[in-house]
Amino acid sequence: MLAYQLRIAWKSLRRSPAHTLIVGGGIALGVAVSTLFATVRHSFAKDPIPDKSAVLYNVRMDTWGPVDPYPGGKPPPQVTYQDMVALMRSDIPARQTGTFKASLYVFPDPRVGRPRRELVRLCFSDFFPMFEVPFRFGGPWDRAADRTAERVVVLSDEMNERLFGGEDSVGRSVRIEDREFRVVGVLDRWRPGVKFYDLTQNPVDVPEPIYMPFAHMVAMQLESSGNSDGWRSPPMAGFAGLLASEQTWILLWVELSSADQVGRYRAFLDAYALEQRKAGRFQRKLDNRVTPVRDLMVEAEVMPKEADAMVAVSLLFLLICALNLIGLLLGKFLARAAEIGVRRAMGARRLDVFMQHLLECELIGLAGGAIGLALSFGAIAVVNLWAKSIISRGDFLAMDWAMAGFAAGAAMVAGLVAGLYPAWRVCRIAPAVHLKAQ
Amino acid sequence: MELGPILRAIRRNKARFGLIAVEVALTLAVVVNCIALIADARAQMARPSGFPDDDLLTVSSAPFDAAFKEPGYQQAALRADLDALAALPGVAVVTSTRLIPWSGGGSSGEYRQAGAGDAAPMLRSQIYNADERTLDALGVRLVAGRTFTREEVDRDTRRLQEITIHPRELGSDGRPVDKFLQDVVVTRAWAEHVFGPGPHLGRLFQDSDGDQYRVLGVFDPFYNPYGWPIHEYAVFYARRSSSYENGTRYLVQAEPGQASALARTIEETLTRVNRLRAVEVSRVTEIRYLYFGRQRMVAGLMGLVAVLLVVVTGLGLVGLTSFLVSERTRQIGTRRALGASMVDIVRYFLVENWLLMSIGIAMGVGLAVALNLALVSSIASARLDPITVAAAAAALWLLGLASALVPALRAARTSPAVATRSV
Repeated sequence: MLAYQLRIAWKSLRRSPAHTLIVGGGIALGVAVSTLFATVRHSFAKDPIPDKSAVLYNVRMDTWGPVDPYPGGKPPPQVTYQDMVALMRSDIPARQTGTFKASLYVFPDPRVGRPRRELVRLCFSDFFPMFEVPFRFGGPWDRAADRTAERVVVLSDEMNERLFGGEDSVGRSVRIEDREFRVVGVLDRWRPGVKFYDLTQNPVDVPEPIYMPFAHMVAMQLESSGNSDGWRSPPMAGFAGLLASEQTWILLWVELSSADQVGRYRAFLDAYALEQRKAGRFQRKLDNRVTPVRDLMVEAEVMPKEADAMVAVSLLFLLICALNLIGLLLGKFLARAAEIGVRRAMGARRLDVFMQHLLECELIGLAGGAIGLALSFGAIAVVNLWAKSIISRGDFLAMDWAMAGFAAGAAMVAGLVAGLYPAWRVCRIAPAVHLKAQ
Repeated sequence: MELGPILRAIRRNKARFGLIAVEVALTLAVVVNCIALIADARAQMARPSGFPDDDLLTVSSAPFDAAFKEPGYQQAALRADLDALAALPGVAVVTSTRLIPWSGGGSSGEYRQAGAGDAAPMLRSQIYNADERTLDALGVRLVAGRTFTREEVDRDTRRLQEITIHPRELGSDGRPVDKFLQDVVVTRAWAEHVFGPGPHLGRLFQDSDGDQYRVLGVFDPFYNPYGWPIHEYAVFYARRSSSYENGTRYLVQAEPGQASALARTIEETLTRVNRLRAVEVSRVTEIRYLYFGRQRMVAGLMGLVAVLLVVVTGLGLVGLTSFLVSERTRQIGTRRALGASMVDIVRYFLVENWLLMSIGIAMGVGLAVALNLALVSSIASARLDPITVAAAAAALWLLGLASALVPALRAARTSPAVATRSV
């Protein structure tokens, strides 16, 4: 029966190609626009590290001054150096890293280019396995290098391309500021959608091109090139003062694999804060936070505030496209009243007629959906190209299976909305009236 | 008039006529909300900074030569740079400050009124260094008092350097024992935020260390977006830039229309003065363009939706109206045969359409407000503007009329004989 109805539907669609094209085109347009907007939203909302987002936690402590809260009333997004050092003595997390970025001079081979300032992420060796950073050559430095401030670096694929022409540069040397570093690893292409491990500035930025052991911060007296917030002057002058200050510029991440570990780590944080309070610090109400990746993304308002409204508008656009097609389909179906009268007289049930016309609408809907999906690929490419001039990356918006499924669903619903009333009308035709006219 | 028959016809065919009204209502609701989002984005982008953005350039000079770490060398290099920039044709004013207009960030500090006590709330403000030319370069207007003199800048620079090299002794409260007093220039918005309505000259405020600041000048307007909502609040203190930790920044105000030409020559000039550094020049209009990337995208995409929507609905209305007219060809023929003129027929369909459009627009206005309330809860500033709603309603109404006119005219030309033949 279904095959028969499909054949009739197909014949009907072939009989009036212009009509089919217009109806299909309307659905395609609606699907393309709503899929584009849904993809924009989805690119911000989707899990940037699905395998591990549930076990990676950002750590914050309210070390702010007693009089006024940190702007926004929450603890500052980063921690002080003294707290990072103390907290990382804990053996509860399986892995942990403090991290920040600095802007440092990199001196390539003079034949390759002039010295240039590059963003360098200072982190611990756990950073790489924690965040599933993929390597093409070599690997992370080991934990011993963290302690001894060994002069080693990891390069991104692009930096390796620029400095060493893309070859396996493990073991080669690169000068950063006034000292030489040995390359121990080169990353494969690493493009998490949202830069989840550092949401303090542009959350859709690309990861840094160079990584070096955190211990170099002290050895080279490096200051953050990212955000740094404080509420009181350092207790002494110079770099030592910065290290002992209440200035917050370090992101602290821990990997906790069970609820029990999370509980123990929270208790550890609170105990540390209470102990510090005796020394005159932590004078605000105790507010330590251990926040998983996705909650942090919500809290940091990664999603542009317009995104939901834009998706709602695009769905209404799809609905209006579908509504506009009702008239066209009604005209087409009722024009064949006589033919349907004959079918009804020959024994076709109302349900058969109804289903057959609905099927025809769903066929156009699906075809339109396929075209719409293709169109939305084009639209995403255009928006990405445009975004590249703003956020220096042209791959942020990405279509995936979820969005393809969304497009298919949207197309089916659009077909249903457009076809339901015309199909119902046409199945209500009384056969006698139309047979009489012939 | 034929209002009676029209209403009866509509009542008997609620679904088909209702469809037109619903289409119009939804279209109106979505289009005016698209326009509200666009208007909101445009309003944000049109926000004036108080600076002559078009004429401003910001220059970063980041030296990689070890010699730059020596303070004496730094001072000499800074002066050489400023002299070289000032001598360039097309440069109006040049200064060294860490303020980068429209970059969305900067430095900030916290203050309270002098004598307010330790429990009084601190007020956050953007804080930047300035020399005697910084406010000129920014092109801001002093509304009271004056800016720093060269002597004041040199004096305060020396004093702040002294503190950095020889830190002050700290008391038992962890604050410096010897306090200092420094003259500052502040924005009017900030002065009013701290002290209430003026006059503000000579008023004192202090930071958490107990050091005091005295208002030397007040300027207005000032708007430089910051990560926290302190965009209009700024305090400038007198200090010549000297830190080469992250390089030096210069702010150049070009003669009107010279900015893009200067952007090219500045890099060559500074590199000639000293090769051992990287120089980057950006126009403030470019920084501003990047800053508003999201707003630009929202406006662009919403504009696309609004235009597509009007086209789709226009076509849909034509299709539906044609169908509704052609369905009644026999009725038209009968009426024509009974003596109705062509004008009567056209008028009948136009009145019918006018009625449907009016119902649709009335529903649409309500729907638009509902949709906007749902939007407003997530985007506070995208409010509906009554004039936009009225204009969009009028445009839709005309669109509906035009879409009805063509099929109505065609129907009216139907000869009664043809129309009634098959009855």
